[in-house]
Amino acid sequence: MTTLSVAGPRPRPDAVDRPRVLLAPITVTPSKPLTPSHLKGLLWTDVMYRATRPLADVAYRYSHTTYHPTEQTLGFWEFLDRSRGATDYGDFTEERIGELYVAFRAAERAPAQALLPYAEAVERGWVHPVSTRILQLWSEHYAALALHNPGLLQHQPPGLGLDAVLERLTGLGMCLDQREVGGPVYLDLTRFGLNLRRLVAADGRPNYLACALRELIPLAPDFDEVVLLYDHELDPDYRQLERVLTALGPRVRRVAVGRVPVEGRIHSARHGGWRGLHAGTLIDAARAEYHEGAVRLGMRLYFIAVLGPGRQQSFRSDLLRQCIKRAARLLDAAGPETDGAALQDRLAQHRKDHVYVNPYRLTSHLLGKRRAAPAADLLRTVFL
Amino acid sequence: MTTTVAPITQDCLREQEARRIRTARPDLGARHDLTSYDGLTAAWCDITAEGDAGSLVTVVLRNFDLAQWVRDTCVFALGVGPQQAADWRTSFTRTVFLAGNPAQLRERFRFAHTADDDSAAWTTPGPAALTSSLRRLLKLFDAPAGLPPRPDILVELPDGHRPPGRPRARRDLYVATADCTISEALVHVNHVLAEAVLDGLIAAGDHLVVHQVPRIVGLSARLATVRVTTEKHLPGRLKAAAGLTEEALVA
Repeated sequence: MTTLSVAGPRPRPDAVDRPRVLLAPITVTPSKPLTPSHLKGLLWTDVMYRATRPLADVAYRYSHTTYHPTEQTLGFWEFLDRSRGATDYGDFTEERIGELYVAFRAAERAPAQALLPYAEAVERGWVHPVSTRILQLWSEHYAALALHNPGLLQHQPPGLGLDAVLERLTGLGMCLDQREVGGPVYLDLTRFGLNLRRLVAADGRPNYLACALRELIPLAPDFDEVVLLYDHELDPDYRQLERVLTALGPRVRRVAVGRVPVEGRIHSARHGGWRGLHAGTLIDAARAEYHEGAVRLGMRLYFIAVLGPGRQQSFRSDLLRQCIKRAARLLDAAGPETDGAALQDRLAQHRKDHVYVNPYRLTSHLLGKRRAAPAADLLRTVFL
Repeated sequence: MTTTVAPITQDCLREQEARRIRTARPDLGARHDLTSYDGLTAAWCDITAEGDAGSLVTVVLRNFDLAQWVRDTCVFALGVGPQQAADWRTSFTRTVFLAGNPAQLRERFRFAHTADDDSAAWTTPGPAALTSSLRRLLKLFDAPAGLPPRPDILVELPDGHRPPGRPRARRDLYVATADCTISEALVHVNHVLAEAVLDGLIAAGDHLVVHQVPRIVGLSARLATVRVTTEKHLPGRLKAAAGLTEEALVA
């Protein structure tokens, strides 16, 4: 996996003059099964990462450590310990943990004070066993789908502490700190016409945007391009993040990936409702019928090329199955290996003015009716 | 030796508030029995129900220092033109406090007054629609802490236009701090000062001595104007949240 230095700007590698790209997708809270929406985001990022790597130095930053301090994670842990006491989560299923998460979201919120011991422990690398269990299960799904594992179970702290990042923002003229009157801290980009956005609540709790800034502010200056992948629903926040990071040097690209409606509705995982429809069950069902390669490629064809960047189409298991079947045929017909330069050329076609390769354009290209079968090296490098 | 003036009774608070309501809105005085607690609260409900109708001032606050803010509040109110002042007075000097940094906003928004250090800025009184984009951009000023303790402090208003023959006056401004957040204190003191300026009790060059006291009791001077609010823990009773004493001449 790619290890990132967060100590300060790194010198450019001397030997090669390749652009440096940081992929920074939003993480999924490790408290529930991976829904079709989550799976789409992960597959989308994975194809982008693997397709861009032959063309650039790419770092894929996906640190759960960074986002553990958010209320939805710390609150869940505190809720479990308060309501269940010491519990061995080692044999819990994702569904069982997800049910507990739904119960937590329905319960009254604990006061900020109750979360403090958890917040402090997270800074030292502690993870509640319930999330370790979820991350272990997800690691298995990642392996089954050949998703690049960006260190799900590793301690990857952000480069700046909360106070340090607020100080940096103040230096950039982008912080409104009203803690002196017992109030919140805001990200202040109002001079650009963007709404004042809270980062730290009056009771001291940071939100996910504050966590993202702790991570991305120290990383951004090391890269030529930073690609932010996120849900459409978070667009206003990501426009803010784009402004901050742009001020630090890199070109910032926002890539919003639409969620996947189920039966016409976009559900939030906080309400559950994933029964029978999450990464684990979809992978198991597919692997019962098709070989590993077909499942990996077929999942990518469906979640990227068929569903596309939007959020109009509801999840359809029949279409997913068709994609896996199609993938099996594509793999059987795969063309001969090409040389490295030819692969780079083919990947580079799926870019515009950006360095990253567009996963939708690349993957859709495989489905063209009259196209030659994809080359084996392209499939191996990006899709298998 | 200091003498204590007559205590502020419930009758006195009701009279003060009734006078304030009648001055701004005689129609409300006619509609409700303002001599009773229930009549006053009914009038307050009517005022609240009017929502965004009428004239409004938006104050953007980056940070808050009571003495400096008192000075700037008066400077702002002294600069409000007669027609706008009359409309704002009819709306009970309604003011919305927002968290924001005036220095970040001046290119997009016009302010009637900005503090020298950019800690606060005031919009001209006017219909709410005129400041709706500013209010959408910012958040309500959220200051749940109590006022930090501080010694009494003299605030000297800058010289400016004074009514002919009006000597320079000194008044004491009392702010009750017990069970009161900064957000609440802002509202109380703002109304006292804005209305005092619009009613001619405060003029350019006047001196104000700001006192933070737990409760406004045992004063040695009469209050010329008082901000009346309900007792949080004593249903049916009123209290003075802030008050301005009658004038004394500046020596």
